[in-house]
Amino acid sequence: MNLPIDSVMLVLVVTNLLLLGLSQLRSCVHAVAVQGFALGLLPLLVRQSGGPTVWTLLVVLVTIGLKGVVFPKLLQEALRDADVRREKRPHVGYTMSMVMGFVALAGAAWLSSRLPAFSGSPSTLAAPVSFFMIFVGLFIILSRNHAVNQIVGYLVLENGIYVFGVVLLHELPLLVEMGVLLDAFAAVFVMGVAVYHINSEFDHVDVDQLDKLKG
Amino acid sequence: MTPVSILLWSVLLLPLTGAALGMLCPSVRAVMALVRAGVLLTAAAAAGCIWAVHAGPAVETAWEWLRLDALSAYHLGVMMLVFTLSSLYLPGYFAAETASGHFTVAQARRFGALWFGALAAMGVVLLSNNIGIMWVGIEATTLVTAFLICIHRTPASLEAMWKYLIICSVGVAFAFMGTLLAGAAAEHLHLEGAQMLLWSRLRENAAGLDPALMKVAFLFLLVGYGTKAGLAPMHSWLPDAHSQAPGPVSALFSGFMLNASLYCIMRYLPLVDAATAHTGWGPRLVLLLGLVSIGVAAVFILFQTDLKRLLAYSSVEHMGIIAVGLGLGGPGILAALFHTLNHALCKPMAFFAAGRLGQMYGTHDTARLSGCLRGAPVWGRALFGSLLAVIGVAPFAVFMSEFMILRAAARNGAWWTLGIFLAGLAVVFIGVLRQAVNMAWGEPVAVPKEERAGTMDRVLIVGALGALLVLGVWFPEVLSGMLDRASNIVEGTQ
Repeated sequence: MNLPIDSVMLVLVVTNLLLLGLSQLRSCVHAVAVQGFALGLLPLLVRQSGGPTVWTLLVVLVTIGLKGVVFPKLLQEALRDADVRREKRPHVGYTMSMVMGFVALAGAAWLSSRLPAFSGSPSTLAAPVSFFMIFVGLFIILSRNHAVNQIVGYLVLENGIYVFGVVLLHELPLLVEMGVLLDAFAAVFVMGVAVYHINSEFDHVDVDQLDKLKG
Repeated sequence: MTPVSILLWSVLLLPLTGAALGMLCPSVRAVMALVRAGVLLTAAAAAGCIWAVHAGPAVETAWEWLRLDALSAYHLGVMMLVFTLSSLYLPGYFAAETASGHFTVAQARRFGALWFGALAAMGVVLLSNNIGIMWVGIEATTLVTAFLICIHRTPASLEAMWKYLIICSVGVAFAFMGTLLAGAAAEHLHLEGAQMLLWSRLRENAAGLDPALMKVAFLFLLVGYGTKAGLAPMHSWLPDAHSQAPGPVSALFSGFMLNASLYCIMRYLPLVDAATAHTGWGPRLVLLLGLVSIGVAAVFILFQTDLKRLLAYSSVEHMGIIAVGLGLGGPGILAALFHTLNHALCKPMAFFAAGRLGQMYGTHDTARLSGCLRGAPVWGRALFGSLLAVIGVAPFAVFMSEFMILRAAARNGAWWTLGIFLAGLAVVFIGVLRQAVNMAWGEPVAVPKEERAGTMDRVLIVGALGALLVLGVWFPEVLSGMLDRASNIVEGTQ
């Protein structure tokens, strides 16, 4: 048991469940921002030996800056332009989504119990939580129609992978970590621009109505 | 710095310079000239690198983070071929767009920068020895090319771009999870931090990778990179993106972008095979995905009425063919790699023709293009010729590589594979040929604009289709040696 890390894991699980149950797009963006903050602290908590290095601090700052502040800001901009407050017709209802969330949690726990224990992992919760976030992210992308919500799903998916990388693979070269963060940033930025263009072309951002191309 | 490492760096840095310069160009013509010069220069640097490794050992530089061996050198060659062909085709294509006012200087600048960006990103995929950075390259490719789809901003192209972005981003995120899991599988080998994700180090220690983790890793990688490679059932973005993107961009997508992603899967095949004690677990999965892709593509091709969507599904089929070859192992891998080159020659040609005919007829509807041999003699012939090559009519080289895969299947006694493979190819053959004949000799229903085919257009058509004919009857020793060494890397015997 490692109390600080496990508390972060708890925050991650709770924000995921919230994301599944919330209909207000603005609240979804807030939840994913909280998730980004909690996530950003992880590198500090994991590398205990010898205290944090300058690089670790840099990664923490960049992560919190991007996932906790910049991404949510970008999404809120997109929401303001789009002038939509809530998801109108999700493919799966909110109660059902919560149920699916619990199923995903059980599935993630089962999957990680099948894998060999990670040597030197500071938290046994990291693997199941990471898989859980990947499942939830994928579920949000598949079950929601609003483009901003799909980006939120993508962020949750990315966050899940980030947890895996930081907690279970703490020897990951920092250059790779930085490359990955930069890529996530570019991805969200590009998606934001796409939403902006879709919005100005169609007067809506309901991905469900993007259905002209078939077969 | 050795001369080779300077060349390796310049393959990455020349396109980046080009991208920056592209933003400063004063006219469409200047952008086109820059693209042509930049791509040819990069191709020259790449040729130098390929020459350096074509018979010798792999070269490494930048503390082993950049590496070129026979497999990546071969793919680098194919990539530069596709980029060179497309860049030579660009001016003719955009001249018509500029004339009709659909292509402004701002669009041209953006196009030039993105074109160079795509080249640099795919170069990173091929040259990096670090599997994390290789992933960064694939992700960057996705983001850069997304905007190439909607150079012309229409509702349909925006829709295609969004689907491409979201589906491929999710796919690529899965590939990243797979990359991390592969790193986790190597954790108990106690490689130093900076070397943990180096492919060459993993390859040396592949037998010691944790089998369970490596299997999960490979599942994630196969789904992830398979999405970007257009393998069914993760191919749903592909027909939309290919049909909405401008002709040269579709050519680039089909000609090499899909292969760049398959290349990543090839890198992992020897790792997973050694980790699972050579039980053939990994190759079997690749084979299965390949067969599904051929089957799905065959069904959809039968009902296509849009030429570019037809070609897009044909790309799904060809990626499936390559995957089947990889899955069969041994001579199948060599055939798959040979098929990569053949597909990279014929499919861009078909998209070039579709692009120009689309400009003349104002549509890609196969029924409206009927009788295009008379309406547009040059590009009509190019379309018919390249469609014949695409479906593998002998003696085009595509026929040879498909035949080699069949022989590999027979050698393995994989009769089910052989049967499904043949059935799929036969359906595609009939489906495409029917449409091709109708487009060539059918009763004309639309009056096209006047065809303006320049010398460069003719050189491209004759050159690419001629090369396919030559490769169909003559297998040069340089090529066969290179293919042999590259396939040994995928097989894990080298």
